[in-house]
Amino acid sequence: MDISFKNVSYIYQPNTPFEHRALQNLSFDIKSGSYVAIVGHTGSGKSTLLQHLNGLLRPTDGQVQIGNFTLSPDEKLKNVMDLRKKVGVVFQYPEHQLFEETVAKDIGFGPKNFGEAEQEINKRLYEVIEAVQLPESLLERSPFDLSGGQMRRVAIAGVLAMAPEVLVLDEPTAGLDPRGQKDMMDMFYQLHKQKGLTTILVTHSMEDALRYADHVIILNKGTKYMEGTPLDVFTRKQELNEVQLDIPEIIEFLNKVEKRFAINLSYQGQSLAEVAQQVVEKLKGKNYE
Amino acid sequence: MSNSFIIGQYVPGDSFIHRLDPRTKIAIIFTFVIVVFLANSVASYGLLTAFSIGSALLTRIKLSYIAKGLTPVWFLIVFTFILHLIVTKDGEVLFQIASYPIYSGAIIQGAAISLRFFLLILVTSLLTLTTTPIEITDAIETLLGPLKKIKFPVHELALMMSISLRFIPTLMQETEKISKAQASRGVDFKTGPIRDRVQAVVPLLVPLFVSAFKRAEELAMAMEARGYQGGEGRTKLRELKIEGRDLFVISLFLLIIIGLVMTRA
Ligand SMILES: Nc1ncnc2c1ncn2[C@@H]1O[C@H](COP(=O)(O)OP(=O)(O)OP(=O)(O)O)[C@@H](O)[C@H]1O
Ligand SMILES: [Mg+2]
Repeated sequence: MDISFKNVSYIYQPNTPFEHRALQNLSFDIKSGSYVAIVGHTGSGKSTLLQHLNGLLRPTDGQVQIGNFTLSPDEKLKNVMDLRKKVGVVFQYPEHQLFEETVAKDIGFGPKNFGEAEQEINKRLYEVIEAVQLPESLLERSPFDLSGGQMRRVAIAGVLAMAPEVLVLDEPTAGLDPRGQKDMMDMFYQLHKQKGLTTILVTHSMEDALRYADHVIILNKGTKYMEGTPLDVFTRKQELNEVQLDIPEIIEFLNKVEKRFAINLSYQGQSLAEVAQQVVEKLKGKNYE
Repeated sequence: MSNSFIIGQYVPGDSFIHRLDPRTKIAIIFTFVIVVFLANSVASYGLLTAFSIGSALLTRIKLSYIAKGLTPVWFLIVFTFILHLIVTKDGEVLFQIASYPIYSGAIIQGAAISLRFFLLILVTSLLTLTTTPIEITDAIETLLGPLKKIKFPVHELALMMSISLRFIPTLMQETEKISKAQASRGVDFKTGPIRDRVQAVVPLLVPLFVSAFKRAEELAMAMEARGYQGGEGRTKLRELKIEGRDLFVISLFLLIIIGLVMTRA
């Protein structure tokens, strides 16, 4: 589904002393099937933005378009349930949403609410636990007996089981072990490719944004600060530093090597090992005392 | 926390009222709650109203915000008034609504009771609007201090209060977060038959309880780890201090009480 924000503003608790403008005049487009990373310092409005994507919040000003659904300030969306069925949201720390007696029931909760048949739910159940690498033996356990990482996986499986067309991820791997983080991000990427999902990822990791996204939006204090392909955005170090963001380590490393040895290297998605190889090749032809 | 219900809500500020010692505020409000019932003439009600509105103005919080925050209470106030119109049968019949006689006494009494009610709510909400929960518990702890002599667990009570007050906003945030997460999984809290809506509460309450218990456990562990032990011999980070402005306000309030007694009918 195509998504577009047109001059969207959002104010928390308007007309009170606690009034807070979380989004300001925000406009951007997300094409169907793309993988977009939203990056910004803490408090820049990322989670607020995400909550517009499935109609949890309505803009105070402006308009949000998600496929055929339109969110506007003064009109309540009538078929909001249809929207939520199509847009799956994995919140920050999603393990807090677990409540059922068994893992299987909790994963099936979303699809059941959206009226899927028992059989279909069962089929999806086995698909999603495989995707998030949960052993089948856990299915009949209580979700509250699991480790933190396992609970996270159950919660994510519960969203995937809704079979959404748009997958919205709010720092889905925060607090997981490094290996688990990488596996999880790779899994999302695979699903994205396989099912042709539109994926929107909020992340603090520039590495993830660089590796997976084909479009990056940088937020600062509720406004759009920068937008473009990861390569476009991550070559503008100075500007990123101004809003407490860094460029990915690999690009930083390339920049330093280029400067130190006066050679030309450009980032084209290569891994660190490949970069090392390139550096060796380039340096071979040079003489150093 | 999207609603505007303000009872129990603290609004940070630096006004004269904010800076008063919390004990002064509590003592005055406690007395106010009693003396409100002394008023029985236009002048005495006028005096109390002036005091309340004056204090509200001094907080420098927007009056419209306070008024809007009392919305649920307005309903009660109007209800009280209407109830009086119906049941009180003093004085003479003024007019009839749909052949139901309305007495002059009913209007006067209804107005007086409603006004009293409004003043009570307004003044007490000013306390929580301008005083942090921590200050309130500190004040209550010192005010109840003498009860320690009869082995009343004042310190423990104050501690319980401050912990609960501290976690109210946290719980509210958590409620909002979890209800959003469940709404995203297709729970409908707002429409549908009552039975479904009651059932929709389960996916909200279970995670809330789980996290509340977890929090309580963590807090207890953290307190123990830092060597917390009860009240005896414990010093305070924030010392309460009565200042000139407190004495001034207390004297002013005493004058108002004297005025009140003199203007009584
Ligand atoms: N329910 C709320 N009521 C009032 N203000 C809020 C509420 N939720 C968020 N805010 C404020 O809106 C701003 C943006 O919040 P948001 O949660 O969107 O930030 P974020 O970019 O997701 O940050 P983080 O990286 O820490 O998750 C913050 O300043 C926050 O204090
Ligand atoms: Mg956030």
